[in-house]
Amino acid sequence: MRHVFKKKIIYCGVVVIILIILLHPDMNASRSYEYIEKDNILSSLHEATAVNFTSTAVLDCDYNDIIHDETTLSISLIDGDLIEGHKIREGGEYAPSNCKPKYSTAIIVPYRDKAEQLRGFLVYMHTYFHRQHIHYRIYVVEQVDSRPFNRAKLMNIGAAAAMKAGYPCLILHDVDLLPLRPANLYACTEQPRHMSSSINKFRFVLPYLNLFGGAIAILSKQFKTVNGMSNEFYGVSGEDDDLYSRLEANDLKVCRFQPETSRYHMVSSKAERRLVQRKKQTSFTKERMATDGLSSLKYTEVATVLHPLFTHIMVDL
Amino acid sequence: MVYTSVTKLCIKDLIPGSTKTSGKKIDIDAILPYFIVPGLLLIATISRTVTIAVMVVIAMGALYVQTRPRQKNRSSFFFSWTFSSGVCMFLIFENGILGFFEITMIENSVFLLLLSCTLYFFYKMKTIAENELTGSGTKGKEYSPVLTSDSHYCQICQIEVNERYFHSIWWDCCILRPNYIHFLAGHTFAFATLLLGTNLGLTTVCQPFILYAAILMPLDCEDIYYDFNMSICFVACIYALGYALVIAMVLIRQLIVYLPKYSEPQWKKLVNVLNV
Repeated sequence: MRHVFKKKIIYCGVVVIILIILLHPDMNASRSYEYIEKDNILSSLHEATAVNFTSTAVLDCDYNDIIHDETTLSISLIDGDLIEGHKIREGGEYAPSNCKPKYSTAIIVPYRDKAEQLRGFLVYMHTYFHRQHIHYRIYVVEQVDSRPFNRAKLMNIGAAAAMKAGYPCLILHDVDLLPLRPANLYACTEQPRHMSSSINKFRFVLPYLNLFGGAIAILSKQFKTVNGMSNEFYGVSGEDDDLYSRLEANDLKVCRFQPETSRYHMVSSKAERRLVQRKKQTSFTKERMATDGLSSLKYTEVATVLHPLFTHIMVDL
Repeated sequence: MVYTSVTKLCIKDLIPGSTKTSGKKIDIDAILPYFIVPGLLLIATISRTVTIAVMVVIAMGALYVQTRPRQKNRSSFFFSWTFSSGVCMFLIFENGILGFFEITMIENSVFLLLLSCTLYFFYKMKTIAENELTGSGTKGKEYSPVLTSDSHYCQICQIEVNERYFHSIWWDCCILRPNYIHFLAGHTFAFATLLLGTNLGLTTVCQPFILYAAILMPLDCEDIYYDFNMSICFVACIYALGYALVIAMVLIRQLIVYLPKYSEPQWKKLVNVLNV
């Protein structure tokens, strides 16, 4: 009798151990996470417009309808053209004319080689932003040298340009990500925000809670506080994890909107992304944060061209 | 050297017309699938065409085995094949697909729950069948050297059992009345496990779309052969889909052919009760 009992206990123990091994919590993604409720979004946004921005409109723009917008934009927009009379100024700057926007945002897009993808991205994003009544400008930072792609340094360069132009809010955006819900307002929250937390290629789940890549919104002053991103990530991934560590070191907590609002469509294939991001480099230290980043940003600017849909900064790293 | 000659022998055994049997055959037959299944899956990761070719070859092989005279399939090769396939698919799911960080805890738990139900029923099915064979089961007591009208001689198990349903070479045991329900339940759970596993796997490696609420379906499976991890997961999913298809056919067959036979006595009982 006792023998049978012992056997049962051993079996239970084995089952529990196997379950613990198989359910390894750090390997499991989550579909839901802590997020800002829809009704609290407006109060958590940082209201500020660019330094030298003035609007002739009298009425303030209303963002309530946008936050509660349930529609989803169609991806087929990337194959189309912009509507006539879109009123986008040279350099890809736009502000609604019928109301006074409360938010100014600089969208920084690191880029290299994929002209067709960039075209689709610009057409889509301008159409998308037209529904959000914000003042924005798109900066495309292109790496023209033949060194491995350095996403983080290009972000720094774009951010520096945008801050020089007086933008209070930066959105660091990958060219292959398209926001699907107009409710995902492209403005900065008081805390840095991870915007792309529900990407179609990732089964609409958040792979891990510390993920802070893809599309993020951060206030210019916060970006300055953390000394921007690291300049040393040539051809390797992990720059987003490094940025997360920088925020953590400065007691900045990351926030998100709810998954349904944060849906994104990834254009490039996952394999393509994986090929680019093979090695992971994580050697974050507070000392390095102070010396490596915006403060140590060195590059050669080849040209800055104001295209009809975007500001094109070409750099040699 | 010895190994290769023995291996050759068993392959020979699979060829129709050969009746040779050797003592060591059983062992090698049992081990062989543990190399063949992963090997085939690895080969299939090369390209789309190779995947299709490998899957067709496996399907043809299975069909060929099914169409052979049953008593010739006396080998532990087939059960090993089933088992090694299960192990392969499980390992790929737990190490490959979960490694993409895209499966949630709940999805993984449901998968493991279904899998443990499957394993439980199949384990029960095999132990009951074994009990029947060794004579410790109910049928053993009724054993008589004379075959009664409802007794059959199972040529593979080499025993006579009454109410023999059929012999499953893939499970290497007879499916009798006592374990028939386990056979059915096991297959139903296996079907569910495979469907869930392939859905999770394919939506991970392919581009998914939202079917309804949290239910995703794979949409576009381009560019999976560039990355080994992705292609092995994809190939395993296709293989699992094939298995699910076979299981679906088995279940449908059971519904049509065997279920009425199994439930008949119970119906009679019910009718008798009503007759009173």
